Amino acid sequence: MHEPHRLSMEEQNLQSIIEEIWPKLKKKHLYPEIPVPKVRGTPDPEQGEAEEDEGVGLEMKQKQMTINGAFVSQMKDKMEEKRVVEALLDHGITHYTFCPWDFHTHLRLYAEAKKVVGDKELAKQVSNHFIDVIADTHCVKKRFTEIPELHRNLKKGTIEEVIAFLYQKIWGVDLGIPPSKMNVKGHAEIVRRLARIPYLDRSRWGESVQKFARSLKPLLVEEQKQQGAKGGKGERNPQGEHDLNHYSNEEIDQGLRDYARQTMALSEFKDVVEDFSDELKGAGYGMEGGMGRGQGNPIDADILFYMKLAENYSIPLKKFPLEEKGSLHPHSHSPWEVGSPFQDVDIWTSFGKIMPGITQIWTKREGKGRGKIEGTPDCLIAIDSSGSMINPRKSLSYAVLGAACATNAYLQNDSKVAVYNFSDAPMGGKDILNYTDRREDIYRVLCKYFGGGTALDLEDLMPLIQGRKNLDLFIITDMKITNLEALIGFFGQIQNRVTAVHIGDNPYAARFEKAVEKRKNISIYTVKRKEDIPHIVLGRIRDYFNPTHIKNS
Amino acid sequence: MKSSTPPKKNPILPPDKENWIIKNPFEEFKTFTASTPDLPLDQIVQSAEAVMDRIRWGYEKLLEEEAKELVWMVQYNTIIKAYEVAEKYVKEIDYTAEDIEDFCFALENTQRIPYLIPGPAGVYISALCNDVKEEEIVLKLSELKTEINLIGFRLPKGKRLVIEGDTGDFTGIGLEGGELIVEGNAKNWTGAGMRGGKILIKKNIGLHTGEWMMGGEIYVGGRVRGLGNIVEGKVYERDKLVFPGKVRYPNLYY
Repeated sequence: MHEPHRLSMEEQNLQSIIEEIWPKLKKKHLYPEIPVPKVRGTPDPEQGEAEEDEGVGLEMKQKQMTINGAFVSQMKDKMEEKRVVEALLDHGITHYTFCPWDFHTHLRLYAEAKKVVGDKELAKQVSNHFIDVIADTHCVKKRFTEIPELHRNLKKGTIEEVIAFLYQKIWGVDLGIPPSKMNVKGHAEIVRRLARIPYLDRSRWGESVQKFARSLKPLLVEEQKQQGAKGGKGERNPQGEHDLNHYSNEEIDQGLRDYARQTMALSEFKDVVEDFSDELKGAGYGMEGGMGRGQGNPIDADILFYMKLAENYSIPLKKFPLEEKGSLHPHSHSPWEVGSPFQDVDIWTSFGKIMPGITQIWTKREGKGRGKIEGTPDCLIAIDSSGSMINPRKSLSYAVLGAACATNAYLQNDSKVAVYNFSDAPMGGKDILNYTDRREDIYRVLCKYFGGGTALDLEDLMPLIQGRKNLDLFIITDMKITNLEALIGFFGQIQNRVTAVHIGDNPYAARFEKAVEKRKNISIYTVKRKEDIPHIVLGRIRDYFNPTHIKNS
Repeated sequence: MKSSTPPKKNPILPPDKENWIIKNPFEEFKTFTASTPDLPLDQIVQSAEAVMDRIRWGYEKLLEEEAKELVWMVQYNTIIKAYEVAEKYVKEIDYTAEDIEDFCFALENTQRIPYLIPGPAGVYISALCNDVKEEEIVLKLSELKTEINLIGFRLPKGKRLVIEGDTGDFTGIGLEGGELIVEGNAKNWTGAGMRGGKILIKKNIGLHTGEWMMGGEIYVGGRVRGLGNIVEGKVYERDKLVFPGKVRYPNLYY
């Protein structure tokens, strides 16, 4: 087992500095909910980490900031330890309190940067630099901070020099970069462009990061080439790397959910998730086949997209009377004794008195048939993935989204869901998933696309329905089903609650609607535009469970 | 008679608690000051915004005068007239090349500029480029979704305009001795009526290239889709002279 680094005297001293300044820092940043930062011990030089480690001053994992003792002692000759620590922590705290603030903002900035630079690594660098410039500028403007002094003393590469010159220009502080140094290779022009960006205007960060990327791109490309030639990695960010370690699992979940809702575009979401796949795997995404947590297979960005997007919608699901319950009811009187419970006292026969011998209490007995335990039945989702439906892995399929929302509603109510994904079922174009509460398995089958003809094989459905007293059915299709008559006949026989969603007006849909119009257990929802599916289905489902609003009732 | 002073309130606290000191719950924040120092950044951003407002105002005035019904026909006369109006407004503004680039992106942001009419927008941007103090203007427009028409119109001698990205129709028409470099593609009628100067299109170019061109040179790094009726001047395709020459004929589509 890897032994934790032991704190030396120097690091203990650093820890005491942190403890001393931490109350002041918390107050300065208006009491953020961040634990006391720690000091990381000097790594074992034999492991070869030491040299690489000296360059990074701060590490942030979830909300725990860790100061690198080696970095601080390296800076000791140039700057007092206390000031180094304060500057690093000011920077770190501002990441939590201002920029990027949350994972969604981080993803958004990355995605905007990637639109300009095209390359994953460059986009990560751009967004990281941008986030740092905002955090430091915010700190310099709003708080008394040692950040400028830290920048004055940091070791700088070409990009860091340009950014330091930018700081000189926008903060009005001398950081020791002579203007003559910027005359080379059009650096002054880059800084002039960068200085016009409204870094502190959160509402414009999207366009700002693009402008930032456009201006910095030539330098980044040049640096990437140089590094490629050297065959090594670039310098690490002394103020800490910005990766997914910053965020907790819940923040990552929420960020992905918000990003999916905001973009509503499968390809964009997929791009970003694939770019962050290593980090997401590190955070626990990418499990056997689906998107729960655990180590294993590669991340399926399509499934993750529908999963996160569906989490933005919630369907109220009215419970259904399932079983008789035996409740207690007052049966006869018995005398009250000292120590007996008061809540069963019958005040009418006790004349309002609490007195042994006078006071009477109700004796209760278990009754029969006075109510039913409410619950949610399991659900069988039949989804059409024939050629006339949208391929959910190519673009946003509202059919899959609708089915995904229904899945979530049932699973959240502790029910199980089975999926029958069909195209030309009798010819083998089908996938059947038995009742399960494993969300990722369900989504995987929902996202499957066959793209052939449309025919149901009722023999496939029977085993999923038989022997289940209470079961809901949810079918989503364009109704262009070859054996529609068989389906109508089947629905005519069953008593289960059926929600049928069809897309557009077509003769098949009209035929289906007419055939089952008298069946009160079947609710049909017409969607004229495919884009209406998530809204109308979700709304109608609520109506469906509220009998006063059922269509045609 | 009623007293004008309000009656003295009885103390609410019980007598034994009269000496209690009321503590300010925000005592901790007493030293916190809401006022923040102005950074040079604030001033830079503010002045850039002010300049952008002026540029936007000029563009809106141009639309008011030249495209009242939000319709604008590309004709020789309309271009000349629009340019004159644009020049009038542009001359009143003190701006830099970066302001021009910002304006190009602002054109796509409907919240900032409600109407993007490609013709007048291109004429206006050309007027801005021709009147700016800098001799070299670099516009990084690769991410712009709209290809701007008429860019480089009447670019005068001594000016060098570099466009990173693609341009639309009528690129560099009526060029007056300047140097126009397009890092991407250009559409039809590029260099039409140019009198002198140099146009370099690094990728491909459309139809009617150099129509009624009176002088100057057009260099194309990729393919020329079709030449126009050229009066005088030179057109090169991948370093090979295609006009004057026997190989190519006007408006022949390749």
